[in-house]
Amino acid sequence: MKYHAALPEHNDNVSDGHPLKEFLLLLGAAAGLLIALYLVLGFFVDYAVDYVSPETEVRIFAAAGMLWEPGGGPDTEQQQQSLQTLIDQLAICLDTAYPITLRIAESEQVNAFAVPGGTVVLNSGLLDKVRSENGVAFVLAHELAHFQNRDHLRSLGRSIVLLAMLAVLTGADADLSRVLAPISDYENAQFSQDRESAADATALRALNCHYGHVGGATELFEVIATPDDDFDFALTHYFSSHPEARQRVDDLRQLSESLGFDRANNVELRVP
Amino acid sequence: MLELYILLALLALGFFVGQYLEKQHYRSINARESELVDLVTTSSKHPFGDIPVIIDRRLVQGSVVVSVDYFKRMLAALRNFFGGNVRAYETLVDRARREAVLRLKESCPDAKQIINLRIETSSIFKGAKDQIGSVEVLAYATALYY
Amino acid sequence: MFVTNTEDIPGKRIVACHGVVSGSTVRAKHVGRDIMAGLKNIVGGELKGYTELLIDAREQAFERMQAQARQLGANAVVNVRFSTSSVAAGASEIYIYGTAVTVE
Repeated sequence: MKYHAALPEHNDNVSDGHPLKEFLLLLGAAAGLLIALYLVLGFFVDYAVDYVSPETEVRIFAAAGMLWEPGGGPDTEQQQQSLQTLIDQLAICLDTAYPITLRIAESEQVNAFAVPGGTVVLNSGLLDKVRSENGVAFVLAHELAHFQNRDHLRSLGRSIVLLAMLAVLTGADADLSRVLAPISDYENAQFSQDRESAADATALRALNCHYGHVGGATELFEVIATPDDDFDFALTHYFSSHPEARQRVDDLRQLSESLGFDRANNVELRVP
Repeated sequence: MLELYILLALLALGFFVGQYLEKQHYRSINARESELVDLVTTSSKHPFGDIPVIIDRRLVQGSVVVSVDYFKRMLAALRNFFGGNVRAYETLVDRARREAVLRLKESCPDAKQIINLRIETSSIFKGAKDQIGSVEVLAYATALYY
Repeated sequence: MFVTNTEDIPGKRIVACHGVVSGSTVRAKHVGRDIMAGLKNIVGGELKGYTELLIDAREQAFERMQAQARQLGANAVVNVRFSTSSVAAGASEIYIYGTAVTVE
């Protein structure tokens, strides 16, 4: 009996194939699957949203603790009154399901919120920066458009659906959730950007309806667009909740041209 | 966004450094295996061939714990989604096994034969939440001196 | 190729030995099987999906071991032992090893 000492030439216990290629392939397949599922389920969410009455909507968001009213000081009373009038007038040109109250919040941030349940909050910082009535009117119309399009419900429905889908598919696997998280972030961001663009378009139409022209509509974007925008990494645009400011200006310009709106520059100065 | 950048950085680190370390390990394994190839090793109970009087017989063992890198972990997680062979872990267990057997052989340099080689594998998990893919291999056998 | 878990092939004579050979595979379940297993967890019983999965993996590991034995010039593997372990969440590793010999 002899002993043949030898080593195998190639290793049968290890498969060929580059791991990076496999990773990209699997990730691409998972992304495709998740995006397809998200679109399909989103379609059902949109269908269901039409059947939710305004009263139910208020109840849902009250239960979720998402209704709030910021306090405003006595100096903002007069501003609030005049802006409430403006918003009531704009609401004629839109179709919100319930009356909207306006509140001013003390904050330096240039921002405005649509709070589900019927409140639009403007930050005092925004009122400092946007000087024309038309500019403010556009912001108000944009927030009203969110109510008209029932964007809060759509968002909530989609978040629930996306979370449930991921939970079922990944189970208790923490690693898998970590790898697939960017995909779900991307989907949420893209949906949010779509809704913001839709609200912009609706607001533009409302402005034309109210004033007869759309001058001054893009004042807010011109204020918030900073030179740094050029240096933003491309990635952030895919994951942010709003389209880039310059993009919004361009889109509105295109829309007003295609609809034949007058972008006259005779803007009316707002009463301070 | 920050989580995404951290994830990408960890993946890149895991991939490049992990691949490099794995190649190095394989190189070392191949070299040592070539050196020790003449040592008769079987998993049989009885000594191989005709042998003279046995001077000594000893239980010898070699063990190692090897872990995967971050990139392979994520790759395995994706594999868990679709099923199939987890190629990323094949090299892990292959390296661990061969290393354990090499350590066993190196622990008894003057032995003439290794018989009844047995290999035990177990995995080391940090906990149900954050599982680390690492495998422990124990190789044990009887070394004969004659 | 003769493969047994005995010391030698019954009825044959071992003429040469080629050392220890092994075959291993690591296989993961997929989402579908997982969901079915989750449901089965409620009523209990055999998880057919997982059984099939491991049977396939074992076959492949077996093939690999025989391939390695063939590479070394052997025509039989004796003293074969099996081992199963879980390497990570949801992935199982099958390892089969034995001594490669030439018989006649």
